[in-house]
Amino acid sequence: MHGEARQPVLMKPAQNPLSIGIEIDGPGRAYFDTVVTDNIIDMMMELAAEVWTVRDRQYVMENVLASQGIDAATLIEAHRPTAEEMAARKLLREAFVARLLAGFLRRANVAEDK
Amino acid sequence: MSDGGLDRGQLGVLPRPVRLADESYLEFLESFRDVLLTQMFPAMAEAGHARLQAAGLPLDDDALPLPTIQREFGKAPIVPSWQRFMRSQQEMMWRRTRASFAATAEAQLDWLAAADGAGPGRLIVDPDFAVPDYARREIHLQPGGYTDDPIGGIVYHYGTKVFYQGGNDQDELHAELVDLTTPPADGRVASVLDLGCSIGQGAIKLKLRFPDAEIWGLDVALPMVRYAHARSAQQQVAVNFIQALAEDMPFADGQFDIVFAYILFHELPIDIIPAVLAQVHRVLRPGGQFVIFEFPSASQHLPPAHRFMIDYDSRDNCEPYSLGFVHADFRGLLAAAGFAVSDGPLSSNGFLQSIVAIRP
Repeated sequence: MHGEARQPVLMKPAQNPLSIGIEIDGPGRAYFDTVVTDNIIDMMMELAAEVWTVRDRQYVMENVLASQGIDAATLIEAHRPTAEEMAARKLLREAFVARLLAGFLRRANVAEDK
Repeated sequence: MSDGGLDRGQLGVLPRPVRLADESYLEFLESFRDVLLTQMFPAMAEAGHARLQAAGLPLDDDALPLPTIQREFGKAPIVPSWQRFMRSQQEMMWRRTRASFAATAEAQLDWLAAADGAGPGRLIVDPDFAVPDYARREIHLQPGGYTDDPIGGIVYHYGTKVFYQGGNDQDELHAELVDLTTPPADGRVASVLDLGCSIGQGAIKLKLRFPDAEIWGLDVALPMVRYAHARSAQQQVAVNFIQALAEDMPFADGQFDIVFAYILFHELPIDIIPAVLAQVHRVLRPGGQFVIFEFPSASQHLPPAHRFMIDYDSRDNCEPYSLGFVHADFRGLLAAAGFAVSDGPLSSNGFLQSIVAIRP
């Protein structure tokens, strides 16, 4: 065995920028005849994720306010959901995703050929 | 909204993102991905197969050229939509996961440093170790890949939580595969190696399964083995982790009774695999078992939709070596390395093949 008990060599924090991805920071991929379609979908996904994030926070906030009523921001971050609450939120989330993707599923193969 | 709450602890053995907003965003992507895989992929497969049949092409002919499959699949509108969604959700997942944990990067690095020398297991790192270029890729689009992001361990951990759609939050999948890992015929299990262990989920479960055995986890990536060691120290499970190459293992001949490898080989260039197999043969004792759960490889029939998906995954999800693997005769390589090869027990993940290779 070699190198036993030596300390690992690490990159310094200065070499640890917020975003370091080559793949996810580059132009990525396009799949449609016009890249605008790709861009619109990216935008919609980001919007949808943000809508969900706000909704999720609202849900949590209402729970916290109902139980305590003060200092909501701090209380929300301190909140630890129950298993029942997590299950309820998961059901709402899945229903939201199903609505979002419904158009793609119901018209999976009906457009004209390219 | 507050940016507070930067230490939100863990959910069992899973770290929480540092803000609720990150967790909600990533849970959205997890549900989104679930629909992509469980509903949209089957719909895409049906549409693509219908296009092939309409063109008079067979679905059960493995010789059907991939460009033909891509051409016919590409005519179904669901196909580019699925590709767009898969790529976008993966990019969004990594962007948000890394940004979340980067907000506490200093604390993460302090935690790792404090754990480096902690027991009960050991972390072994050679400061002169050189990561080969082939491993320094952004596999699965992860920023910095396995090898180049100091907080890559926790980023990978939460990223794979989303990848597994919540099905591995408490390492359940690793527990299942370890439960399927049987001892050699003589029952002796004194030493076990988790080869390509990443963040040590399998290695920790191996220790719980074989508590009297010495367990080792080996991986090429320092961020992975450091995080694996810190997790095992946190859970007080005695596993040793080492940064090393599978094709150049610093272990004694015949040291192990079992070598376990979960989805390692499709991440290796095909020309590296024979050297890895030779090393596994060397470090296993006679009668020892090599337990493998892996992508399918040549000789296994794959429907056109799966061939399309694997090709997409290789090109657009940065799996640079998976195509080489799935087209290789992996079982033939095992036999050529001197193993007696047989089917292993299948897991709940029907995509994976299961192999038990015994060193005679």
